Amino acid sequence: MSDLKDILKLTLLEKKDVLIAIFFGFLAGIASVALMGSSGYLISKAALTSQMTTLVVMAACLKLFGFASALSRYGERLYSHRATFTMLSHLRVSFFERLSPLAPGIFSKYRSGDLLSRIVGDVESLQNFLLRVFYPPVVLGIVFLSAVFFTSFFSLGIAIVIFIGMLLTIVVVPALFASRKRRADGQVRAQRGNLAIEATEFLYGFRDLKIHQQLDAKEQQLKIDAAQYNEGQRKEGLEENLAQSINAFVALLVSFFVLGVGAYFVAAGELNGLYLAMLVMISIAAFENVAPMAAFPTYFEESRKAAVRLEEIIAEPTLSQGAGQMPNGPLDIRLEDASFQYPGENSLAVDHVSLRLKPGTKTAIVGPSGSGKSTLMQLLLNVFPLNQGQLSIGGKPVETLKQEEIWQEMNIVLQENHFFYGTIHSNLLIANPAVTDEQMIQVLAKVELDILPLTMTVEEKGQNLSGGQKQRLAIARAMLRGKSLWLLDEPVSSVDSLTAQVIYQQMFQQNNNDLFVIISHDLTGLENMDQIVVMEKGRIVESGSYDELMEKKAYFYQLKEIENSVFT
Amino acid sequence: MNDLKQLAFQRKNTMTFLVVMSIFKGLATIGQALFFVMIADRVFLQSATFESLIPLFGGLLISILLRAGSGYALGKAGVNLAADVKNEFRNTLIQSFARNPLLAATQGQSGQKVSLLMDSVDEIDGFFSKYIPQMIQTYSIPVILLGVIFSQNWTSGVIILITAPFIPVFMALVGKGTKKKADEKMEQLNRFSGTFLDVLQGLSTLKLFGQAEKQQQAIKKSSLSFRDSTMEVLKSAFLSSLMLEYISMLSIGIVALEIGLRLVVFDSISFFTAFFILILVPDFFNLLKDFGSAFHTARGSVSAAKQLTAELEKANVDLTWGKETMAQEPPHLSLEHLSFQYGEGFSLASLNVEIPPYSQVAIVGKSGSGKTTLMHLVAGLLPQSAGRFYVNGVARETISETSWFDQLSYISQHPYLFAGTIRENIKMGVAGDVSDEEVLTAAKKAGIAEMVSTLEKGFETPIGEAGRGLSGGEKQRIALARAFLKKPSLILFDEPTTGLDLRTEKILQDSLRELQKTSTVITVAHRLHTIKDADIILFLDDGKLDATGNHEELLETHVPYEEMLAAQQGGGLQ
Repeated sequence: MSDLKDILKLTLLEKKDVLIAIFFGFLAGIASVALMGSSGYLISKAALTSQMTTLVVMAACLKLFGFASALSRYGERLYSHRATFTMLSHLRVSFFERLSPLAPGIFSKYRSGDLLSRIVGDVESLQNFLLRVFYPPVVLGIVFLSAVFFTSFFSLGIAIVIFIGMLLTIVVVPALFASRKRRADGQVRAQRGNLAIEATEFLYGFRDLKIHQQLDAKEQQLKIDAAQYNEGQRKEGLEENLAQSINAFVALLVSFFVLGVGAYFVAAGELNGLYLAMLVMISIAAFENVAPMAAFPTYFEESRKAAVRLEEIIAEPTLSQGAGQMPNGPLDIRLEDASFQYPGENSLAVDHVSLRLKPGTKTAIVGPSGSGKSTLMQLLLNVFPLNQGQLSIGGKPVETLKQEEIWQEMNIVLQENHFFYGTIHSNLLIANPAVTDEQMIQVLAKVELDILPLTMTVEEKGQNLSGGQKQRLAIARAMLRGKSLWLLDEPVSSVDSLTAQVIYQQMFQQNNNDLFVIISHDLTGLENMDQIVVMEKGRIVESGSYDELMEKKAYFYQLKEIENSVFT
Repeated sequence: MNDLKQLAFQRKNTMTFLVVMSIFKGLATIGQALFFVMIADRVFLQSATFESLIPLFGGLLISILLRAGSGYALGKAGVNLAADVKNEFRNTLIQSFARNPLLAATQGQSGQKVSLLMDSVDEIDGFFSKYIPQMIQTYSIPVILLGVIFSQNWTSGVIILITAPFIPVFMALVGKGTKKKADEKMEQLNRFSGTFLDVLQGLSTLKLFGQAEKQQQAIKKSSLSFRDSTMEVLKSAFLSSLMLEYISMLSIGIVALEIGLRLVVFDSISFFTAFFILILVPDFFNLLKDFGSAFHTARGSVSAAKQLTAELEKANVDLTWGKETMAQEPPHLSLEHLSFQYGEGFSLASLNVEIPPYSQVAIVGKSGSGKTTLMHLVAGLLPQSAGRFYVNGVARETISETSWFDQLSYISQHPYLFAGTIRENIKMGVAGDVSDEEVLTAAKKAGIAEMVSTLEKGFETPIGEAGRGLSGGEKQRIALARAFLKKPSLILFDEPTTGLDLRTEKILQDSLRELQKTSTVITVAHRLHTIKDADIILFLDDGKLDATGNHEELLETHVPYEEMLAAQQGGGLQ
């Protein structure tokens, strides 16, 4: 339960809804118990007398308790769901608050696209925590205790039987199955993961499998994996059914014993027979509500796991940073003997790299895919901690500076730039909340995007924009920042080369004294860079100006030769 | 929904079992009520001794056991039914994937297909594990209960018969209304629920722009808006179940009133009968209400089932093979009026090409001109829509599939590496035993042996799914090693467009030259030297074969070819 402590805290942040829901839940439960109990009592009474009043009272009780129960059930549902959604809102905000300091390092570090959807899925699955884990045992417990309290006035024996039944159905059986589930759960999860991987391989590798005549074997393997997953699910289903059946059986057994004990006491003259039917009906009604407890083990395990996973993510250590002031004046960037390795990989992604970037200069980083260009960019952005070496900005080691303050001085375009649901206007505003509409229109013209009106809707992840449009919009965003350090990772890879040239010219001309670092996907248009850095396998193999490198006729020259002969 | 029901009813044994168990459960419900009332009646009104009740308690215990047992059996049968149907669906899906030649050509939508196999199939679970058993119970148990009630006190039976139909009618009405409302709100709801993911995805951007803090408010606001909109939809759903509750309560109330009148005023029925009916009636209505909630589960399954049927009903193009074996030397290929058409943007107009053994063929053209489709046709991965494809004078369809693919290697731009060791990946596609030496030789020729030797586990190094952990160049070289080991007589090669390191570039060139000595090589060419060296250049434009010939011939006769080369020469530096 300790895993869920934080979630519980968040749930109870707004106690009102939870308390109202519990109150209504209790009312609904107790009213249905009262309904059954009173009808048991009144029918017994009716058998003895022929007074009209009994009938009237009976009819009135049926209506009163019936309506009260149904109405409370309605209120319970309303408030418990409201409380759940409020809790989800708190959860999202609090999670975001704790995740935010870890970004963006945490995303690139794991190179895992599904990290985010996993987070969202886990947060969503926690909506069951209140509805199906926390809430049912609490409400049931109160209803049961009330029933025990009430029956104890008539027969202590019956009260004890009901109490034992309560312990069995809301504590012992769910706990037992929850622990069984915990042991077996990893298996089905693993089987599911395995099937998903096999299916992905089968589909993505289809052509290679077909040509290498491995398709049949792989198809059989896939079927076996599917069958295994299916068996795992079957077992899980049977387990849930067993839990449900045992719970139902215990409930029935309790009413049996209540009747037995009751009948014994009546026969012995220790209990008025008039109350027998009532007491049995109370036990039947009280136990009718335990059905949700059968699903408890599943949801408990699910919530617990989700909570643990979320906690794991935000438990990552943050980058060490200081509180030093950013130096004034033109800034330079120095990287000295820097190495970096992704966790879980065995070679260095960036291998002893030193770079000197001066204000007023333009540097291009080129190299084949997988050569470490983008990782180097992440290091310059101070997103990852270096395994070795030193990064300084404006002469100060980055550890002494605040991460946000460093980014505050940068105009950044990443390979994947995110655009939010909203408008062009709202997406540009992110760069600089102070810019006017006129400035936005001017900048859009510079990146040749003035055909897009500021009011245009941008869909999630900028789906309605083409790759080139997104890149140009990202550049527009960087231009609006107006800072002196430009760090651009393949900013124009999807823009046609003519437009790309125009955009580069705009950028360079107007910001002559700024510092530019550009990762380039191709080798064209590098003639007026001050420095070209060529990377391979995480190392710098060559650097110099365009003319120097072409004259050297070494690595860069050969790459250029190949590029010249490639048709796309 | 009828399709799914049919699937269930096809399993006659299970369905019979469900019916039998439902009847048992119905009988047990009656038995339980009967013994219970009898005991209460004897103790309370007839002052019986406890000992005389023991047989009745025995009967009650048996009824309870039977009720719990049949309930368990019903649940178990449902779970098993669902598992069986899901297994069948998965097998059929896998089979249809495996038989679909288009999959080889279109690598898109794979993610969607995986989710079909995983999630959609899982979603139909509820229909079979919950809805079907509940449906059978609702069709059989209430009938039994009603019969017993009629036999005891026919007026109560009549009241139930009149009031009960209100429940399904009302359920259908409300169900439609709620669904409509939910559909209307759906878009709005999706938007709200998407905001969190949107902000998380953009978190890096927000941080770099120093805007992250502002987004907390946005998350909170959208979460709360989501809550309010959802509550509106839920409210109407909850209201409808409240109404259902009222209907059933009203019905129970009328029955109780009728019984009460007869018991108290007219004295025309006994305590026994009255109590007995009073216990059975709520059971009757509970079954109807349970059916309503099971119906909800079923609806989710139905839309998943629709997706599955749509996938399974997709027309497949057939690829036929014969029994002839192919000689182990480069074949003579003749394409006569060969064409291909499937859907939109995936077509090739009728073309004629002769490819003698040991030729070097270069396919050139803009992207979308049909180069890859032509490669797939020649590779025997796609069937032609019309025309003939002869291999050494016999139709491709008469050759055996094994013998054809034994002679073929396809080196794509992004060769797929499977989860397994490097050795397994190189050995793939070569039947029979392969010595370590042969693997090493192939790896050396492909220029990958050196890299492998630096790894701690050498050739036994496991590489992840899709070759994670290897660079693009290394993957290309492993694919080359596969070809060197296989020694095919026909090689299809999709030349990389960009992004390879110098070493891999050189190895690719040298290797291809080596492989050309023993085989026909057809290349989708992106490099000038490959094109110049080719014996035959196939110039494709917009799904048509525009011109055929070698470099000199095309330069002289085909203006678009010359233009293409000119554009390339001038395009390097702007």
